[in-house]
Amino acid sequence: MLNIEDLHVSYGPIEALHGISIEVETSEIVSVLGSNGAGKTTLLKTISGILNPTRGVITLDGVVIGGMEPSTVVRHGVVHVPEGRHIFPNLTVQDNLILGGYFGTAAQNSENMAFVLQTFPVLRERLRQRAGMLSGGEQQMLALGRGLMGNPRVLLLDEPSLGLAPIVTSEIFAIVRRLAKEHGFGVLLVEQNARKALDISDRGYVLVNGSIELSGASGELRENPEVQKLYLGGRNVDARL
Amino acid sequence: MWTLVFRGLATGSIYSLTAMGIVLVLSTTNVMNFAQGDMGMFLAFIAFALLMRHVSYPIAIVAVVAVGLLLGALLERGLMAKVRKTTSHLGMLIVTLALTMILEGLAGYFFGTTPLLFPPALQGDPLHVFGAILDRQDLLSLAVAGVVVFILFLVLYRTKIGIASRSLAEDEYAAKLLGIPVRSIYIFIWATSFGLAGLAGVMVAPKLSLEPGFMIVIQLKAFIAAVLGGMNSVVGAVVGGLLLGVMENLVAYYVPQIKDSFSLILVVIVLLFLPEGLFGRRAARRA
Repeated sequence: MLNIEDLHVSYGPIEALHGISIEVETSEIVSVLGSNGAGKTTLLKTISGILNPTRGVITLDGVVIGGMEPSTVVRHGVVHVPEGRHIFPNLTVQDNLILGGYFGTAAQNSENMAFVLQTFPVLRERLRQRAGMLSGGEQQMLALGRGLMGNPRVLLLDEPSLGLAPIVTSEIFAIVRRLAKEHGFGVLLVEQNARKALDISDRGYVLVNGSIELSGASGELRENPEVQKLYLGGRNVDARL
Repeated sequence: MWTLVFRGLATGSIYSLTAMGIVLVLSTTNVMNFAQGDMGMFLAFIAFALLMRHVSYPIAIVAVVAVGLLLGALLERGLMAKVRKTTSHLGMLIVTLALTMILEGLAGYFFGTTPLLFPPALQGDPLHVFGAILDRQDLLSLAVAGVVVFILFLVLYRTKIGIASRSLAEDEYAAKLLGIPVRSIYIFIWATSFGLAGLAGVMVAPKLSLEPGFMIVIQLKAFIAAVLGGMNSVVGAVVGGLLLGVMENLVAYYVPQIKDSFSLILVVIVLLFLPEGLFGRRAARRA
C-alpha cells in the first residue's frame, strides 16, 4: 500500500536520509527503530509532505504522494500523528477532533467522531474541556483520535510512548494494534522504546545514520544480538511490560 | 458619571474593533500589523467618496466592508504571502509600517490632505436615559461593535474555518499536518481584519476629522487595548478596548492633568505587573 523507494532527504547541503526503502501493507504495523538523530522523524515528515525528498518515490497504492503538500497527502489518507502530540491546548477536545476531519463530509465526520469516542471513552467525558487540561495519556489518545478522524489508510505514529507511564503506553499500543487489524489501515510506528514497538509490530526496520541497517519480522529482530545490544538494553532482559 | 462611562464605551468600541483586527493577525500570522488603523482610514475615505455621491449610508457601510474583505485578500495574496517566504516576522512588521505610508500617501493623493467633515450616520438630539446623555452615533458604534463581536465569535468558535484559524494561532505545524489549508486561512484572516478596519474607520470618522493621519491615534490606542487584553486573545481585545475607553474618559474628567499620558502610563503598568494581560494565555499544557 505505502511504498517508499530509494528516498533521499537533505537539510540544505546535509543529507539526512540516504536512500531508504520501506513498505507498509494493509493492516500491517511496521516499526522503525533507531537512536536519536537516526532520521526517523525526518522520514515521517517527508512522507507527510512537511519536507520534500531530494530523490526517490513515495506512493500510496501506486499514486505518487512524495513531494505533495501536506493537505494533499492527508486527503489521500496518510495521517501523521507527530512526536510530542501537538494537540491544540487552548481548543476544546471536541474542536481538536473536528480539525482532524477537516476534509471529511459532515456524515463521515459524525460517524468517525462516534467511533473515536467509543474507542477512547475518556475523551467523551472531556469533550468540552480544553485539551491542555488532559493528562499526558489522554493527550496522546486525543492526538490518535484526531488522526483517526482523517480516515487514515496509513497512520504515521511518531514516538507515541514519549513521556507516558509504561502501563498507559501498553494500553495505547494495544488499541493501535486492535484498530489496525479491525479497520485495515497500516501503521508506520517510529519509537525509541524498541521493546514495546517490536511487541506490537509485524515487521521492523532499524535505521542508523540515515540508512536502513536491518529489517525483518519483529520476532527475528527481537532475537538479533545487535538489536538486543543497541536497542533492547542487553541480553535476556524480560521482554514483557 | 454614566454619560462619561457611556462615551468611554463608545470610544472603546472603536478601539475594540481595531484591536480585534490586530490580534487576529498577530495570533495567527505572528505579524504585528501597524497598518490596521490606516487600513480603516483608507476605507473611510472610500466611504466618504460614496456618501458624497449620494450613496445611502447603509449601502456605503456594506460596500466598504466588502471592499475591505477584498483588499485584505489581495493584500495577503499579493504581498504578505510573498514576503512571508523571504523574510522574518520582523521584516513583515516593517512591511506593515511601509503599508501605513503607502496608504496615507494614496489617501493624500486621491482625496487631499485637508481635513474633511465626515457626516455622522445618525443625526438628531442625543437621547436621555436615566440621566445619562447618549449620543446617537455613539450608540450606533456600540451596536455595530456588539453585532460584529457576536458574528466574529460565532465564526471563530462554531465554523471549521474559524476553529482552524484558532488552531493555526496555537500550533502551525500541527495544523499543517492535519492538512488544514494554511494559505486559505491566511487569506481569511487578512480579509476579516481589513473588513474590521473598515467598520472602525467609518464609525469613528464622524467623531474626528477625515484626513490621512486620522487613525494613527486609534491604532496606538488599539495596540494598548490589545496589550491590556493579552495580545493573543480576541476576547481580551474586545474587553481591553472597552476598558481602555472607559478608563481614559474617567481619567480625562477627574484627573485632566494626565489625560494624554494616561494610556501610555497604563501600558507600562500592565507590562510591568501583568505582562500576560487580562486574558493572555497562560500555558495550559500539562505533562
